[in-house]
Amino acid sequence: MKSLKTVLLAGFACLALSGNAMAQSVTVYTAGPGGLIEKLAAGFKDETGIDVNVFQATTGKVMARLEAESANPVADVVISASWKTATSFAKKDMLLDYTSANAKTVPDFLKGPGYVAQGISALAIAWNPKSGTPKPADWSDLTKAEYKDLITMPDPAQSGSAYELVAALTAQPDLGWKLFEGLAANKMIVPGANAQALNPVLQGAKAVVFGAVDYIGLSQAAKGESIEVIFPKSGTVIAPRPMMILKTSSHQDEAKKFIDYVLSDAGQAMVAKTQLMPARSDVKADRPLIADLKILEVDPKTDRKAVLDRFAKTFGME
Amino acid sequence: MRLTHLKSRVFGSGGMIFAAVAPVLTILVAFPLLFVVLQAIFPDIARGIFANPFSRFVETLFDKHLIAWTLNTLMLGGSVVLVSSLVAVPLGILRGLFRVPFAGLWDVVFLVPFTIPPYIAALGWIMALQPRGYLEQITGLNFGGFLFSFWGVVFVMTLNVFPVVYFAVSRMVSSIGGRYLEAARVAGCPPMRSFWRITLPLTTPAIAASLLLVFAMSIEEFGTPAALAARSGFLVLVTGIEQRLSDYPIDLPGASLLSVILVLIAMAAFVLQHRIVSRRDFQTVSGKPGANRAAELGVWRIPVVMFFAIIGFLGAVMPILSVVLTASTRTISGGLTADNFSTENFAEIFANSGGAMEALGTSLSLGLGAAVITGILGTMTAYVVVRQRTVSSRILDFLTLMPNTIPGVVVAVGLILAWNQPWLPVTPYNTIGVLVLAYCCLLLPYPVRYANAALRQVSVSLEDAARVAGAGGIKVFFRILMPLIFPSILAAMLLVFAVAARELVATILLAPIGTKTVALFIWRQFEQGSVGMGMAMSVMAIAITMTIPVAVAIWARKQGRLF
Repeated sequence: MKSLKTVLLAGFACLALSGNAMAQSVTVYTAGPGGLIEKLAAGFKDETGIDVNVFQATTGKVMARLEAESANPVADVVISASWKTATSFAKKDMLLDYTSANAKTVPDFLKGPGYVAQGISALAIAWNPKSGTPKPADWSDLTKAEYKDLITMPDPAQSGSAYELVAALTAQPDLGWKLFEGLAANKMIVPGANAQALNPVLQGAKAVVFGAVDYIGLSQAAKGESIEVIFPKSGTVIAPRPMMILKTSSHQDEAKKFIDYVLSDAGQAMVAKTQLMPARSDVKADRPLIADLKILEVDPKTDRKAVLDRFAKTFGME
Repeated sequence: MRLTHLKSRVFGSGGMIFAAVAPVLTILVAFPLLFVVLQAIFPDIARGIFANPFSRFVETLFDKHLIAWTLNTLMLGGSVVLVSSLVAVPLGILRGLFRVPFAGLWDVVFLVPFTIPPYIAALGWIMALQPRGYLEQITGLNFGGFLFSFWGVVFVMTLNVFPVVYFAVSRMVSSIGGRYLEAARVAGCPPMRSFWRITLPLTTPAIAASLLLVFAMSIEEFGTPAALAARSGFLVLVTGIEQRLSDYPIDLPGASLLSVILVLIAMAAFVLQHRIVSRRDFQTVSGKPGANRAAELGVWRIPVVMFFAIIGFLGAVMPILSVVLTASTRTISGGLTADNFSTENFAEIFANSGGAMEALGTSLSLGLGAAVITGILGTMTAYVVVRQRTVSSRILDFLTLMPNTIPGVVVAVGLILAWNQPWLPVTPYNTIGVLVLAYCCLLLPYPVRYANAALRQVSVSLEDAARVAGAGGIKVFFRILMPLIFPSILAAMLLVFAVAARELVATILLAPIGTKTVALFIWRQFEQGSVGMGMAMSVMAIAITMTIPVAVAIWARKQGRLF
């Protein structure tokens, strides 16, 4: 049986060696949207000849892997779906200070020392026109009796952007928690992360998602699903997706070139094609852009845990 | 005199196996799990810093939800165990004792739930039963109220896990053999009484061992309770773990600490199980010829077949039907209307056949690899545990249950922490090897429990006899023991194969860069909003995965035995 162990160890040794033999390459850890990173990687390889090794998962899983690997980091570039990742990594001095020449037309609030947005999503109302309910125009419409039992929302404890929406809306002086109490009275359900909130609306079990991620809804609509994305007139929150190079990267030049590529005309066109808003203000897209939306700010001093607790209590999720 | 000499040789050989198994299990299971515990205690262990021990305990342990979540976890685990035993123990006993029509078919059908990833099964049930779901579109009825409740979760989870009990019980019952029942009949014992007094008690190790597995699986499963009952406010410990790992800021120490609580709950269940099976002796296979004839069902033929058919329909056919419907409609909102049916999703899978085939190949190889390794290792471990009743073998026994009680994602974190240490000279991390390690670690409990239950039946006297006849330890193991316990081990290996071929939760965190597996392929489709394409891939993966159990079943039939 000793021989079994020897064989296993020898096998691992071979695998480990073959895994390290990567020449010109950059390792990117990225949250969705799926498909985008593959196109970016292929385009980048064509232009520069550099291979892109991709690890793709949800933001939480990307962060968990980064954190668990921190004794011996593997990633060069990180793309997250949560802006907070970038600001807090910057604070911990984990990021390489790099400003891409292509970032000139990226608005100032979408970049910082060591990070820059790849693209931006916003939260919206996703409504199924076949549901037999009137088309909502604003968040508060959903507290009306017509929508009783027909609303879903992504869980703010599992989705960073949903949390920001709750934090921003409850901070509105005229709204406060009244809006969410009204939604609770309307029996809104909170079935899980973003995909779980959308599915019942597609099939018609529910009529409307409160706080759907816009690009997912827009791409579903493009595929022929009966879904309409509505940007509420009182405003919404946006979720810029930061890209950053880790200081520990041993392929910093390749990493910089990758950031340049994502911010190039070709890269930003790919971002726009996934129905995300491009980070560069001079790149056109076939959807409402930041300038078209009323954007609500989240006070960075908001107590996240208090907001989540109050939300859970309001919806009986304790 | 000769007997004690023999005994010492038997234990001597157990010792040899112990010496071989213990280091492997240490590397495979103890090493990563040690890091889960270290992470729970030292928040900065990921950076190799042992500062601020226990600093996160207060925040995590005094979370006001903790008690409710723990109670919910216990209630869910207990209910799934109860309902699984009500369904699967009768099925297993019927299959083992009687000539059930289409027996081979039922074995294959009951393996299907294991090849369906739990999140796909849950989504399948949702799309079938929710208001305006497929059932309502066809019949006008919906069972949303039931599905999205505590008992809905128990229902779906039971259908996912009952095969573990079914296979263990049916293999055990059939190997008890008819000799004891024959003796009881000759002594004038009525059949029902001999069932209650002989068959059921002798099956206890299999029932207890498989229910322990069911309990461990249900306290660790995240997807089903989250998808079905979170909306009604029913949250479990794994919900808390998942929340800590789902968005920024993530909390590895908190997630690890909650996992340790799950391990403690499982430890209590383990002790209970151990009490039950070590109370008495279950050795029934002692080498005397036993006529192993399955009895006829007589008038009960039809009701028994109905029972098998209903469970098979609910466990395998319903979820797959829902998955197939989703895969063969163009849009979800279009529903089941004639112009919405399309083979588009399947066509796209074939168009991307390179990626899909690569993923299938990887997953099937990983499944086979994990099944073979855990099969060998599990049998050896169980041998040590059953024959060498020492404290260290008990520890080994519990060690091989632990991975099954910790959510896959936390085991994955432990594996990264352990295998990405800079001081390691070689490491499987970031190679396919780490997935082999992960699956073996997560799935070792099945072969160990199955082999353990089977070995408890085999009398030591058989081994003694072989030794008297001059056979060496290895020869005794392969010529005497293996043939007797092989049906149980093979069944466990098929379960391992099925699960490893579709594992997602650990894979998503651990997958080496660029590796594609079936589960990752499906998940990416969902992530892109292509639910239909993800479902189409699931259908194909399930069909291809099932070819191996079907082949085994046909082979076993030709050999004239159970697989």
